[in-house]
Amino acid sequence: MDKRIWAIGGGKGGTGKSFVAANLGLHLASLDREVVLIDADLGAPNLHTLLGIKPSHPDLGDFLTGAVPSLEDAAVETSFRNLRLVKGTENILFVANIAHFRKLRLLRQIRQLPTPNVILDLGTGSSFNTLDFFLSANPGLVVTTPDPTAVENTYLFLKSCIMRVLKLYMDHYKIRDLHQKMLDQIEKNSQSLYSFFKSLMETDRSYGTILYRALRGFRPCLVMNKSRGENDVLLGRSMADVARKYLLIDMKYLGAIPYDKDVQESLRALRPYYPQHRDSPAARAIRQMSEELAYSIEFTLRTPPEIRLPDA
Amino acid sequence: MLKKIEDWNYYELLSVERTASQDEIWEGYQAALSTYKDGSLALYGLVSEAERGLILERLQEAFQTLRDPAKRKEYDLALLRHAPYFPPQAAFRKSVGKLEIEEAPARKSFWARLKRRFVKNP
Repeated sequence: MDKRIWAIGGGKGGTGKSFVAANLGLHLASLDREVVLIDADLGAPNLHTLLGIKPSHPDLGDFLTGAVPSLEDAAVETSFRNLRLVKGTENILFVANIAHFRKLRLLRQIRQLPTPNVILDLGTGSSFNTLDFFLSANPGLVVTTPDPTAVENTYLFLKSCIMRVLKLYMDHYKIRDLHQKMLDQIEKNSQSLYSFFKSLMETDRSYGTILYRALRGFRPCLVMNKSRGENDVLLGRSMADVARKYLLIDMKYLGAIPYDKDVQESLRALRPYYPQHRDSPAARAIRQMSEELAYSIEFTLRTPPEIRLPDA
Repeated sequence: MLKKIEDWNYYELLSVERTASQDEIWEGYQAALSTYKDGSLALYGLVSEAERGLILERLQEAFQTLRDPAKRKEYDLALLRHAPYFPPQAAFRKSVGKLEIEEAPARKSFWARLKRRFVKNP
C-alpha cells in the first residue's frame, strides 16, 4: 500500500483534532499498520496526553534544533504496537515561530519517513505553518463541531487554505501582481471567489485556468465531531455542499463522530480512548472514516498535486 | 466548470445527477431545504440572508420542474441544447448494464447481412 500523510486540522480550538488524530493512529496501528503520529501543533502540543504519555525527550523541538539528526530519530516507541510518536516540544516560543528553512526541512523529512502512515496533528488557526502542513498532506481532514463559532472558523480555515494554494501557484508562475488583487477581492463576500475567477478568466484565461485547476486539486475532507443527533450529521453534509458551491472546492464529507462523555473521562484518567471503548459509536465512526480513506479507490484518485513551497 | 450561483442548473442546485430518480430528487430537495432554511448553521459566516432567499426561491422552482416528468423532459432538452451532457464515469465499471444489453437490437452477422442483400426471399 502506498504512503499516506494524514493531516488533521481545523479553524477552531477544542473541536477534537488531537482526539481524532490519536484515535485514528491507534486504530490504524491496531490493524498492524505502522503509524507515526506527529504533534505538529506548534503552539499548544498535547497529543502525548491523549495517548497517556508523559512529555520527555527526544521531541519535535530536538529535531528542529538539530539535537537529533532526523525525524525518524525523534519518533519514540509507545506502549502500543506499531505506533510511534513525535512529541510536541515544551520550547513553544521557539517552535511556534519556526524559520521557513526549518519548516521546509520538517516537511521534507515527513515525506521521507519510511512509515506507510504518518498522521499530523495540526494546531488551531490559519498561520502559514499550519496551512502548509495541511496542504502538503493527503488526506487532509478538517474537524469541526456543530457550533456557530466552529462553523465560522471552518469556513475561514478553508478560505485561508484556498488563498494559500492560489498564492503558491501565483509565486510558482511568477504572477505575483495577481496576489494583491486576490487579497482585495476575496475578503468581501461569499461570491468573491467566483468574482475573482470570473474577472481573471476575462483578463487572462490561461492563468485563470491554471489557478482554477489548482483550486480544484485542493480536496479536503470534513469531519463533524461531537455530534448529538441527526441534525448535526446533516449539518456536516450541508457544510460540504455549501463549500462546494461557494468556495468552489471539492470537499468530501466523511461523516460525524457522536458525542461521548467517556472521551472526557478517558482524558482525565490519562488513558487513550480507543482501546478502552472499541465498540462505542464514536470509535465505530472513526473506524469507518479511516477505512473509507485508506481503501477507497475514489480517494486514491483524489490525490492533490504536490505543492512546492517557494524557497524564502 | 466555473459558475455563478444564478447559473447553477436545477440538478446542481439539488446536488443530484441528471439521471436522478424521483426519490433522489426528493432527497436532494429535502437536503437542500435543510441547508438553506432560515437560521441554518451551515451558512453561518459565509452566505448572506438575501442570497439565502434567492436560493430558496430557485430551489422551489427546481423541485416543481423536476418532479413533473413532462416539465423535466422539456427542461432537460433545453439544457442539452445549451451544452452537451456527459454522465459521470465510474472509476471502475461496477456492473454490466444488463438492461442496456437486453434492449439493444441483436447485431446481425456478416453472413446474415450478405444473405439479406442478395437473396430476395430468405
